[in-house]
Amino acid sequence: MLAYGGGDAAAFETLYARHRGGLFRFVLRAVKDRGVAEELFQEVWVRVIEARERYAPKARFTTWLYTIAHNLLVDHWRKKGLSLAVLDEEDVPSESANPARQAEAREALARLVQALEALPAAQREAFLLHEEGGLSVAEIAAVTGAGAEAAKSRLRYAMAKLKAAVSEN
Amino acid sequence: MADDDDKILRRYRELPREEPPRHLDDAILAAARRAVHTRPAPLVVPTGRQRWYFPLAAAAIIVLAVAVTMHMEREQPAEEVMSSATAPAAAAPAVVPSAREMMRNETAAQPERPKAERKRKTESTDSRELRDQRSDAAPPSELQKAPQPAPPPAAPAQDAVGNIAQPASGRISEQTEAPMAASAAKPAPAPEAKRRFEEGARAASSLSAFARQSPEQWLQGIADLRKQGRHEEADKELAEFRKRHPDYQIPPAMRERVERR
Repeated sequence: MLAYGGGDAAAFETLYARHRGGLFRFVLRAVKDRGVAEELFQEVWVRVIEARERYAPKARFTTWLYTIAHNLLVDHWRKKGLSLAVLDEEDVPSESANPARQAEAREALARLVQALEALPAAQREAFLLHEEGGLSVAEIAAVTGAGAEAAKSRLRYAMAKLKAAVSEN
Repeated sequence: MADDDDKILRRYRELPREEPPRHLDDAILAAARRAVHTRPAPLVVPTGRQRWYFPLAAAAIIVLAVAVTMHMEREQPAEEVMSSATAPAAAAPAVVPSAREMMRNETAAQPERPKAERKRKTESTDSRELRDQRSDAAPPSELQKAPQPAPPPAAPAQDAVGNIAQPASGRISEQTEAPMAASAAKPAPAPEAKRRFEEGARAASSLSAFARQSPEQWLQGIADLRKQGRHEEADKELAEFRKRHPDYQIPPAMRERVERR
């Protein structure tokens, strides 16, 4: 990122290639809407480009990148009248309530997807940050602005629910 | 427990690996390249005639600054004369050497701060009060030196101007003030102001230095003159004293000393 801030456009391409997949999936699985996910994904990178000259490496670039994404997600949820605190407590009704989809979700992977979608947003975000971003619990706490214990607990709950969904099979 | 976690993660990784669409990649990478290759635009882009505005404005400011400086330098001598003409009014104490010295210093400092000129009447009052205090406290030996002031040639009126001279010097300053007010439009009134000042100073010097003192000090001065054999001066001073203090009863002892025997 420092190289890109110094004018090296190729450095940005390297960064982008390294993080594009994980970041896109993180956003997509957080919002569950491809159109919105593409907008948010693009917006994250625009913010990165705009901040190139004032970027100061206080943490890993990945942590900084996912912090931007998290903030945009929070804005997105806020616009939809949701808050992360509420989403942390309550399970979001899954589209799998649809009987047709329930029928399709017999396979384990489909169950996992459904379980992931059914997770509270904060727990899902913690899981996705861990899995797609490769962030540690401490980094998840830094990105989401939560305490380390809260981040750890969210991740643990997410894993437990996903496990339960898969073991139903 | 860890095995269960790994199982979940393995399953998760089996999910389709969605990627951003190609057009999004292209758009983002193009934006990143553009950002690097484009410089931030200047706040004001000088084009056409506008490109001359800034140099022209800078040149105009420099010329104006030089003109004002030269104008102030031309005015400076007139201000100096005026301040020295009004200084005696402010530097009234001619008898007590220490006070005079102090006022001389003040007068010498005046050209450096011509704005103090505006306050000359206030200063005059202050210096008069100071002189009175000093002369009250001054020992007789110092007073004896008073009748022989040695006026420096550059400022002949400074030591000779007394209370009576003050209105005269005030008039002089008023006279010199008018040309000064007009000097903004018509520079170099210095020779005229200087001539007027010298005339005023001559008029002021004809008045007694003793007249600025208390009656007792004045009489003491006359007695000193008498003692030095300067009887004509002493007579003139005595006549002047009686004219200005017609009701004053000269003590017999003093009368013997001041009257011609």
